Amino acid sequence: MTNGWVDIKNADVILAMGGNPAENHPVGFKWFMEARRGRNAKIVAVDPRFTRTAAVADMYAPIRPGTDIAFLLGIIRYAIETGRYHGDYVKIHTNAPYVVSDKFTFNDGLFSGFDDKTHSYAKDTWAYDGDPAKGGAYLVDSTLQHPRSVFQLLKQHVARYTPETVERICGTPKDKYLKVCEIVTSTGNAQRVGTITYALGWTQHSTGVQIIRAGAMLQLLLGNVGRPGGGVNAFRGHSNIQGATDTAGNTEILPGYLKTPTGTQPTLADYYTASIPLTLNKQAWPSMNYWQNYPKFMVSMLKSLYGNASTKDNDWGYGWLPKIDGNYSWMYIYDDMYRGSSMRAGGKEPGPEGFITFGMNPVGLGPNSKKMIAALSKLKWMVVVENSEIETATFWKAPSEYGGASPAQIPTEVFMLPAANFAEKDGTFTNSARWLQWKWKALDPPGQAKADQEIVSRIFLAVQALYKKEGGALPDAVLNVSWAYTNPVNPDLGEVLKEMNGKALADLKDPKDPTKVVKTAGQQIDGFGQLMDDGTTSCGNWLHSGVYTEAGNNAQRRNNADPTGLGMFHNWAFSWPANRRVMYNRASADADGKPWDATRVGIKWNGEKWVGDVPDMKPDAPPGTFGAFIMLPEGVGRLFSAALADGPFPEHYEAVEAPAPNLLHPKVTSNPTALKFASDKDSIGTADKFPIVCTTYRLTEHFHYWTKHQQAGVLNELSPGFFVEIPEGLAGEKGIANGSKVKVSSARGSIEGTAMVTKRLPALNIDGKRIWQIGFPIHWGYAAAEGHTGPLANFLTASVGDPNTWTPEYKAFLVTLEKA
Amino acid sequence: MASQTLEIKRSSASMWGTSTGIRSLPTVAKYVDTSTCIGCKACEAACQEWNDLKRVPTSQDGSYQTMPELQADFWNLIKFNETEVDGELNWLMRKDQCMHCAEPGCLAACPAPGAIVQYANGIVDVNPDSCIGCGYCATGCPFDVPKFHAKTGKMAKCTLCVDRAEVGLEPACVKACPTGCLSYGSKDDMVALGILRVKQLKDAGFKDAMLYDPQGVGGTSVVTVLKYNRPELYSLPADPHVPWGVKVWKQVVRPLGVIAGFLTIFAAFGHYTKYGPKEPPSDEGRAA
Amino acid sequence: MTTVNDAQPAVITARHNDNVVVGDEIVRHRRATRLMHWCVALTFFIALFSGMPIWSPLFAWMAALVGGMNVARIIHPYAGSLFFIASVVQFFHWLADMRFRDDEKGAWKPSRLMAYMRWEENPSDDQGKFNPGQKVFFFSVCLGALGLLVSGIIMWFPLYFPPLVRELGILLHDITFIFFLVGIITHIYLGTAAEPGTFRSMTRGTVSRRWARLHHPGWFRDVTNKKE
Repeated sequence: MTNGWVDIKNADVILAMGGNPAENHPVGFKWFMEARRGRNAKIVAVDPRFTRTAAVADMYAPIRPGTDIAFLLGIIRYAIETGRYHGDYVKIHTNAPYVVSDKFTFNDGLFSGFDDKTHSYAKDTWAYDGDPAKGGAYLVDSTLQHPRSVFQLLKQHVARYTPETVERICGTPKDKYLKVCEIVTSTGNAQRVGTITYALGWTQHSTGVQIIRAGAMLQLLLGNVGRPGGGVNAFRGHSNIQGATDTAGNTEILPGYLKTPTGTQPTLADYYTASIPLTLNKQAWPSMNYWQNYPKFMVSMLKSLYGNASTKDNDWGYGWLPKIDGNYSWMYIYDDMYRGSSMRAGGKEPGPEGFITFGMNPVGLGPNSKKMIAALSKLKWMVVVENSEIETATFWKAPSEYGGASPAQIPTEVFMLPAANFAEKDGTFTNSARWLQWKWKALDPPGQAKADQEIVSRIFLAVQALYKKEGGALPDAVLNVSWAYTNPVNPDLGEVLKEMNGKALADLKDPKDPTKVVKTAGQQIDGFGQLMDDGTTSCGNWLHSGVYTEAGNNAQRRNNADPTGLGMFHNWAFSWPANRRVMYNRASADADGKPWDATRVGIKWNGEKWVGDVPDMKPDAPPGTFGAFIMLPEGVGRLFSAALADGPFPEHYEAVEAPAPNLLHPKVTSNPTALKFASDKDSIGTADKFPIVCTTYRLTEHFHYWTKHQQAGVLNELSPGFFVEIPEGLAGEKGIANGSKVKVSSARGSIEGTAMVTKRLPALNIDGKRIWQIGFPIHWGYAAAEGHTGPLANFLTASVGDPNTWTPEYKAFLVTLEKA
Repeated sequence: MASQTLEIKRSSASMWGTSTGIRSLPTVAKYVDTSTCIGCKACEAACQEWNDLKRVPTSQDGSYQTMPELQADFWNLIKFNETEVDGELNWLMRKDQCMHCAEPGCLAACPAPGAIVQYANGIVDVNPDSCIGCGYCATGCPFDVPKFHAKTGKMAKCTLCVDRAEVGLEPACVKACPTGCLSYGSKDDMVALGILRVKQLKDAGFKDAMLYDPQGVGGTSVVTVLKYNRPELYSLPADPHVPWGVKVWKQVVRPLGVIAGFLTIFAAFGHYTKYGPKEPPSDEGRAA
Repeated sequence: MTTVNDAQPAVITARHNDNVVVGDEIVRHRRATRLMHWCVALTFFIALFSGMPIWSPLFAWMAALVGGMNVARIIHPYAGSLFFIASVVQFFHWLADMRFRDDEKGAWKPSRLMAYMRWEENPSDDQGKFNPGQKVFFFSVCLGALGLLVSGIIMWFPLYFPPLVRELGILLHDITFIFFLVGIITHIYLGTAAEPGTFRSMTRGTVSRRWARLHHPGWFRDVTNKKE
C-alpha cells in the first residue's frame, strides 16, 4: 500500500477492483465503512461476481475476468476527454509534460522494439527525447500540448477505449460504466481524494503488473497519489507477506529491494553501474534520485552479512554473494524440476534434484497441480517445513488421475520438519500498510515443532560445520557468514530485528558539524539516513532501518495518539520507510508546498521545513528543490515508463485462455510477452472446446490451504465444503439444480463440487456474444482434517503468467461445466 | 445462563419479577447495520466460542449461509438473501439472533415459572433450571428464535451475552465485528445511532431506509438498520407481534377458564346450599 | 327384610353383572365398568395435576403432586394419551347405553337443565339407566378427549407444525379443557354431594332401590321386573 489501512477512512471515493476486500480483508474493510460513515464516501465495486464487497458498495459494475486494463484505460480516456483530472498535479508531479522519442511507436497491438523470436521487447525506443548524458536537457512541455508529450501520447493511446468499446470488451453495460467513470473521476481535483484498492484479482493475470500500472496512472492523473485518502493500495493475502517481500522473499531481490547481482557483475563497481539510475532532468525539477545511496545500503548490508570478514579490500565480501544466472522464480523451478533441465546463463544444466519448501504449499497453491505433482515425483529428496501435513508433503496421495501413485513408484524421499505456527513464536508481522508490528508468542509449539529461526539456524550451522570440516566449492561464501547471535542455534528475534535496523560500527559524525558525534560505535542507528558506504555502519535491511533504535523495539509501540486526526498513528509500531505513513506524500502539496486540501494535510512547508507526516522528501529542502517521487530518477510519477517488460503504456490483452478474440488487435490477442511453458503438461484450452470463463478466489471463512486442517475450530462448519458458483441462466441451460454435484473441466483436468446457483454471476454480453462465467474458491485439497477434503482448484489452472513478476494467471481461464 | 447479579423485571408464569425498583439500569441494545454488514461470520464464530457451544455439523448445500436456521447450539446466524430490488441485484446479509423484545412473546407464552426472564436491562434470557422444554416459547416468538436441544429438550438462544453485559462488556459478537456494523450500548443511544445512519442512507439515495425496532413487540433490544423498507427481504417479519393465538390464550381464555372453574365450584356450593341434596323419599312412604 | 352382607361371596359374584338386584340393592355398574371409569378418572387426574401447573401458575402447587414442573411436563402427554385410550374403551363400552331415545331429544335444553338442577323436574317414569344429561356428558367427554388428543399432539411436537396450527392447537386444548373442567366439577358434585347414593354406584357398584326409583324409574322397573 502506498497509504495505509486506516487512511482509507480519508477517501471520498473508493474503487475496489481486482479484489474483494470485504471477503478477504474483513478487518481492514472496517476503514471502508468508516469512510462511508465519516465522509459519506462512495464505494465502487468492480468484479466479475457480485461479491460481499459489492453487497455493501454504493455501486457495482460487472466485468469479464482479465479485461481490467480496458476498463481502466477507458476511465483514463473519460477523465482526459471530460477534463476531470487534476491538471495542476499532473503538470508538477507526473511526467505528462515530458516529450517522448519519435522512435517510439505502437501499432496493431505491439509497441516498438518487439522481438518475435524471444517474445520480448528491446526498450531503447521507449525513451524521453533529449539526452542529458550528452549535456542536453530532456524536452519538457508544461502546456502538455506537444504532440509527442507523454500526455498527448497517452490521450492518443487511450482514445480507442470508448465506453462502447469497453462494453464490448468487458461486458460492463455502458450506463453503469459511465456512472463508475463519473464517480471515480469526481476526485480529479484538489478538493476530493479517491483511493484504489486491489489484491490478487489484478495481480494474478498474464497482464497483472500492467493492470496495476493502469490503476496507478489513473491515480496520478486524478492527483490522488501521495495524498491522505488516496494512493494505490495492494491488499496482501498473508499477515506477513509484505515482510517476506521486504526481506528478499523473491529471488530477484536482496533485502530492501536491492537487486540480486548477476554473473555479469563480478565487482561491486559493476553492480553499482548496472543498478544505480542516472539522475534525470536536473534542470527542470531535480530529483533526489534516492537510489544514489545504493552503496550505503549495499555496503551496510554486506557488513551485517559478513561482519568483520567484510572489508574494503575484499569489496565488502560482494564476491561471496550468490550471482543469479537465470530465472529462479517458482514456476520456472517447477518446470525445470518436471523437465529435468534448467536454462541458465552458461547453457543447459540438469534440473534440481532436491527441494526445500518452507511455509509454502506448492502443490496446492501453484498452477496446474498435476504438473507440480509430476515434478515433485522426479526429485531425489524434498524437505517440507510446515505445521500440518499439507498436499505437498503427501503429494503421492493425490487422486491417481492427478499423478498420485504408490510410494514405491516414486523415488522422492520426503522429510517433514514440523514448524511452529504464528502464535507459537514471536517476531513481527509487516502488514499491507508496511507497518512492522511485533507480536508475542502465545503458546509453545506442539511436539517437536520448532520456530522457523531455529530450523534455519540449525540447518545453516550444520552446513557451515560441514564446509569447515570438508571444504567444498566456494567455502568462504558460507564460512564468512556472521552468525553472532547470543544463541546461534535459536536466535532471539529481537536481536535479529536489531541487526536488520543497523548499528554504528565506529563513531558517526554529524555531516553538518563534524565535531559532533551522532552515534558512538555499537549504538543502534536512527534510520537509513545515517548509513555509510565506508564500512562504519551495518544494516540488514535499509528499508526497515528505524525499527529498533536506541529507543527500543519500535515495532512494539502501541500508542494510539493521533494528532493529525487522519489516523496516521506515528507512535504505533513502525512503518517503513522511516516511519512514513503515506508514501510520496510530497505530492499531497502543490508547487509551493501548500496542501491541495487543507483538511487532509499529508505534509506542508512551513517556511523552514516540511511538517505533518514523516516527509517523503529532504525535510529541510524548500519546495521546488526536488521532485515528489524521490526514488525515481525523473523525480516525478510516471505515466509512461520503460520499467516493465510488456510496454511503456498498458494495453488490453486477453488472458492466455480467453473466450473471445482481442477486439482491438485480433492478431495480438494475449500479452505477447506473457510467460508460458512448453512441457507436455502445459496444455492451453480454446474457446470452442472450453467456452466458459472461470475464475478462482478465497473465502472469508477460510485461510488459504490451512483451515481445512483444523479439527476443533468452527471455521470448517461456517463454510463446509468446496462449491462452484454458477449463474442461474447457465444452470438452467444445463439442468443443474442448486446443491447438486457438478463437474468442471479445463484443458488440464477436471474437478467436482457442489453447485451454488446464484444471481450474483451475471451473463455478459461480449461484443454481441453471450459469455458465461463461473468461479470457485481455492481452499480445499486432498490433505485435510477428516470430512474436510475437497478438490484442489489448481488442478484446472494453467502455468502461464505475467512477464514482470512471473505470477500465474489464476483469475481467468477456460472451462466446461456439466452435471456430475 | 441465568445472571447472578441482574435484577429480574419480568419472569415467565409469574405475577411479577423480583425487581426491587430501587436500582436503575438502562435498557441495553445491540445495533445491527445491515448496510455495512459483509457477512463475514466473525460474530458466528465469536458466539460459538464465547458461549462454549458445541460444534454443529453442517454441509455445503449451495449457499453462503452457514445453516438454514438458528439451532439450539447455534445462536447467531447471518442470513444471506439474494434479491432484486427495483431491478438491481442485492445480496442482503442480516445477523439473526434473539431480538430481546420489550414485550417478549416467548416469555408471555412460557408456562414454567422463571424459565424465561427479562432482566432490568431488557435482556431476555432462558433459565435452563426451570425450562421444561414445552416449546410454547417457540410458538410465542414471532421471529422463530427459540430452538430446542434434541437431547435435553431445553430451549436455548442468544443471551445477549448477559454474562458479559452484567460486568459492562459488549456481547461477543459485537466485540468480534470487524466493520463496525454492530454496536452495543443503551437502547436510546443505539436508536439515536440508527436514526443517524438511516438519515445518511436516505441522503445516499435509499429513500425508504428504515430502523427496524418493531413496536408490535414493544420494540426490541436489537435495533436493525435496513436499506429497504421491506423487512421480509431480510427474513424479518414486517410487523411482528406476539401471536394473537398466544394473546387470546393467555389474556382471555386462560383467565376466563380459571374463573369458570372457580365459578363452577361456587355454583355447586351455592346449589347445595339452596337446593340441598336430592334425596330419594324414604322407602316407607312408597312401600305399601 | 334381610340384610345383605357385602362380604358374602355370593353377593360379590352377583355384582359381576349389572342391572341385577342383589339383595336390597341394585347393581348399577359391574366391576369392569367401574374399573374402566376409574381408569379414565385416574389418567384424567394425572393429566389434570400435571397439566394445570403448566396451564396457569395459579396451580403451580399441583406440580409438587407429580414431582415438579419438569416431571409434569414429561408425564402430561403420556397421561393424556392414556386418558384418551381409556376414553376410547369407555366410548365403546357405554355407546349402546348412551343412545338418545326419541323422547329425550331436547332434554339438554338449558331451560330443562335448569329445571332439573332446581330439582323441579323429576324424571319421567320411563327414565332409563342413563338420563339425557348423563348422555350429553358422555358424548362431551368423548369429543373432548378427542379434541385434547389432537391439540395435545400438536403441542407435544410443536416444531413439526406451522405457527398458526400451534396457536390453534393451544387454543383448542385450552378451550376444550375449560369445558371439561366445568363439566367435571359438575359431574363430581352431582355424583357425590348433590345426589347422595350415586357415588357408591361407582365404588361398590350398587344403588339403593330408592335411589333407582327416584333417578331412573324406568331402569328400576326393568331391573326389578326382570328379577321378579
